[in-house]
Amino acid sequence: MPQLGESIAEATIVRLDCAVGAEVQADDEVIEVETNKATMGVTTLCGGVVKELFAEEGETYAVGTILGLVEATEEEIARTGVSVHGEEAATPEEPEAPRPHDYRPGEEEESYLPPKVEIEPSVQGLPVPAGGSKGAHYISPRMRARMNELGLQGADVSAIAGSGAGGRVTVEDLENFLGYIEGWPSSKASPMRLAVADAMRRSWTRPLATVGMPIRLENLLKFRSAQNPKPGLTLFVLRAFGLALRENPETAGFLVGSKIVHPKAYDIGVAVQVEDGVLVPVLRNVDQRSVPELLGDYEELVAKGREKKVPEEAVGGGIATVTNFGTFGLRWATPVPLPSETLILGMGGGEKVPRWDEAKGEFVPVLEAEFTLTFDHRVVDGGGAGLLLKRVSELLQAPEEL
Amino acid sequence: MSEVAYIDAIREAQRELLADDPRVFIYGQDVGDFGGAFKATQGLKAAFPGRVIDSPIAEDAMAGVAIGAALEGMHPIVEMQFADFSSIAFNQMVNHAATYYWRTGTPIPMTLRLPSGGTPGSGPFHSQMMESLYAHYPGLVVVAPATVGDAYHMLKESVALEDPVIYCEHKLLYRWLKADNFENDSLPLTKARITRPGKHATVVTYSAMVHEAVKAAERLSEEGWEIEVVDLRCIKPMDTDTIMASIARTGRLLALGESFPWGGVTAEVVSRVASDGFHLLDAPPMRLNAKDTPIPYHPDLWRAHRPTPESIGEALRKLLNF
Amino acid sequence: MAIAADYQESACRAARAMVTARVLEDKLRSLYKAGKIVGGVYLGRGQEALSGVLGTQLIPGKDVFAPLIRDQAGRTGFGEDLLDVTRTYLGSVEGPMRGRDGNIHRGRPDKGMPAMISHLGAAVPVVAGILLAKRLKGELDGVVGATCIGDGGASTGAFHEALNVAAVEKLPLVVVIANNQYAYSTPNQAEFSGNLADRAAGYGMRGWEAKGNDLADCLEKVGGAVAAARRGEGPQLVVADLLRLSGHGEHDDGAYVCEDLKKGPLGRDCMDIAKEQLLSSGFIEEGTWENWEQEAREKVTEAVALTQREPTPDAHGEVWNACKAVGAETY
Repeated sequence: MPQLGESIAEATIVRLDCAVGAEVQADDEVIEVETNKATMGVTTLCGGVVKELFAEEGETYAVGTILGLVEATEEEIARTGVSVHGEEAATPEEPEAPRPHDYRPGEEEESYLPPKVEIEPSVQGLPVPAGGSKGAHYISPRMRARMNELGLQGADVSAIAGSGAGGRVTVEDLENFLGYIEGWPSSKASPMRLAVADAMRRSWTRPLATVGMPIRLENLLKFRSAQNPKPGLTLFVLRAFGLALRENPETAGFLVGSKIVHPKAYDIGVAVQVEDGVLVPVLRNVDQRSVPELLGDYEELVAKGREKKVPEEAVGGGIATVTNFGTFGLRWATPVPLPSETLILGMGGGEKVPRWDEAKGEFVPVLEAEFTLTFDHRVVDGGGAGLLLKRVSELLQAPEEL
Repeated sequence: MSEVAYIDAIREAQRELLADDPRVFIYGQDVGDFGGAFKATQGLKAAFPGRVIDSPIAEDAMAGVAIGAALEGMHPIVEMQFADFSSIAFNQMVNHAATYYWRTGTPIPMTLRLPSGGTPGSGPFHSQMMESLYAHYPGLVVVAPATVGDAYHMLKESVALEDPVIYCEHKLLYRWLKADNFENDSLPLTKARITRPGKHATVVTYSAMVHEAVKAAERLSEEGWEIEVVDLRCIKPMDTDTIMASIARTGRLLALGESFPWGGVTAEVVSRVASDGFHLLDAPPMRLNAKDTPIPYHPDLWRAHRPTPESIGEALRKLLNF
Repeated sequence: MAIAADYQESACRAARAMVTARVLEDKLRSLYKAGKIVGGVYLGRGQEALSGVLGTQLIPGKDVFAPLIRDQAGRTGFGEDLLDVTRTYLGSVEGPMRGRDGNIHRGRPDKGMPAMISHLGAAVPVVAGILLAKRLKGELDGVVGATCIGDGGASTGAFHEALNVAAVEKLPLVVVIANNQYAYSTPNQAEFSGNLADRAAGYGMRGWEAKGNDLADCLEKVGGAVAAARRGEGPQLVVADLLRLSGHGEHDDGAYVCEDLKKGPLGRDCMDIAKEQLLSSGFIEEGTWENWEQEAREKVTEAVALTQREPTPDAHGEVWNACKAVGAETY
């Protein structure tokens, strides 16, 4: 049954103008049919003998149904270019799949998609595959909006194994997780805790690295014990760190876009542990004032820090921080610099250890502590950090000059 | 009632409109004794003599005549033989009919019926979708029913409406799409319908593409995806609320249309969702349209030119895997 | 040329519309030049006789008149309120277009005067549609629908399609082509070939040729066409030659208009011709014409003054919705 007009789905046989065994010529109208639009004749495409007629008068057939078969000679087939029906002749009861000239909405068997071209990602740039997974760390606008509603940060949901595309955490995963931990013991985080958390989270967005070395403390302790009042060890380190930084100002810079921003002054903070957090009062112009000159300010700031009453003028603006984790009995740590700073110098606890003395040909006891320097690797390299730390060590060997 | 087709819905709606409302008449090429190129007005001239009027081949004048008749209080229905030919009537519709109410306070309650969309073999000038063009102009209501019930009810509502309506009927659905009767769910004219509920992604579409989308969704359900299909029904005004509510459920949007890809209804859907619903999205909103060439003649080219269940499925997989 | 006594009443009505239009348009020109009117001002200067006759041959409240841009005389003759004109040009919210559209786009569809759009020819099928609707409602008896177009607009497809439709439907439509010799700046020879009046035969409708600046001739031809349509003789096409005595709009000085045309018979001002004809026919006395002018001036001054005191549109309070039944909040 041909497609006799646009949007025609079927047609009814009005009259069969041929019979099985009849001889027909190409273009003879052999069957009269009626569509919703008109009555018209169905023609044969080639001459031959009507071999079979499946169609019956008065019956309605879908477009594409085989109504009958004409047997034609090879010459006639070649002359007219008609297609030859296969061995598995369809019957009206089993109409051939109605193709290609009709189409029902929602039907599609054959692929009309262009063949897929696999593009290899290239480290040299394009082409890379468009779209695709953005990885587990990707937070969609929808997920972000839900997290904002709940007051959550990216790190807060790091415990959740994502079930979304590329292993990404979905809103559903988040809700499941929140349901899972509901009823677990919990407490409210203090404002101090949240402030530290926020600062550490921001700082952690950078590639941080740490170098460390032991620094001998005999000279420093000896000199200090002779002083009255006795300045804290941390103050000497602060002063030495300030001088070392002034000698290597590039290491104290911070990166903004394609710019390294250098410090206007060598102000260095000191980490003060308080209940449920850390405060960092900042001592100004450490490079320009000697230890005795700094002593008053330093002690006042540390004391105020412990009371959580750091004065306004001592808040922020530092270029680095010194933290004495040795006071907790620790030998080694990798402290995290403040988000606005590039460096943090950590002091381990002092310890008497045996060191090989080449001149004496024996182990001798020395007093030393491990110092660690954590830095933003975007700005400072390991070598630069090492030189800086070494310089601090040198300066600390002559405490009287500090 | 025995089985009824989409074209029957259009014809019967017009029959009832003519019977119930003396303000209604039909004007178009071959709509009289011949019953229209697609038989959408078959038998109506005999039943309503003088009110089903054959026009010359003059699309501009046909639309202009309807505007004049509407000014006179009539509710004319103009049948374009093919939506494609309404380009000749475009000026009357977008500059005259569309501007009239806002300029003068006098409404133009006319309906322009556009037999739209492709069927195999129809080629570049008998297959076009015109809804995006008309929707661009303020003052027109543009509808595109996808079901037999909608074809019937939305035509009746369109003709009753005081505004000029572009009624886009899809030729592919005329005889293939059948239903037991003309009933629908009584949605108001301008509301979209959730044709198929889902939770992983939303396909916003209209007209014949609703059926292609449902087919694609059925295939994806075998892979465990639940795809929601929103049938816009009314192109303009667009039911943004229903779209947003669906995106809020699924987080992913595929805007699907049979029209050309540059701008248009799907771009409008994506734009609205991106602007007002960014926080609802798990993936960038996607569009799928026909190709940016004239509509091809050969059925194989035609099938590849328009979205199919397969290409819709591909687009959805990409969307779901973002 | 004297006018037959039968025409006294209609000639005087047409002449008064002409006088009012000329006085009004002189004021509009002045308001434009004073910066009070934004956008365009398009005058019917030189077309008053043709337009005024057409407007006064129609019956307000019964007939339909779709004026084009140079039809102030016709509009006035058909009963348009002076305030509709001043309010539309000055953007008053009290006007029929409320500042949403301006100048000659105004209309009163409820009073049989559709509001034109700028696309030439588009109004012709609209008048045909109104007449077709009146026929369907059984109200067409004795009704005439008229519209004007220019020598330029007669080139559009819309014009052709509509005349063909009107002829097929045998509608009582009178289409008047005011051939003012220029479509904006394009002269007749670049706009069309042959005689415009010959087209009537092509559509199978009756054609009339009139001297467009001659009141007496317009009364006979335009009056004849309207009467024929009213008698049910189908659509009528009137072609009237005249000359635009201004620019295309007031932004245009019309420097391209040929001097010979200005000096020739087409260049004569229809106002002067009409006044002479009324006097020589004994329809008016010396001074009557001047009294009409004075009366028109007073009314125009009053309308402009009132309009200038009226509020202009408030953009914040505007209803930004182009549809009546749907789409107020969302589009």
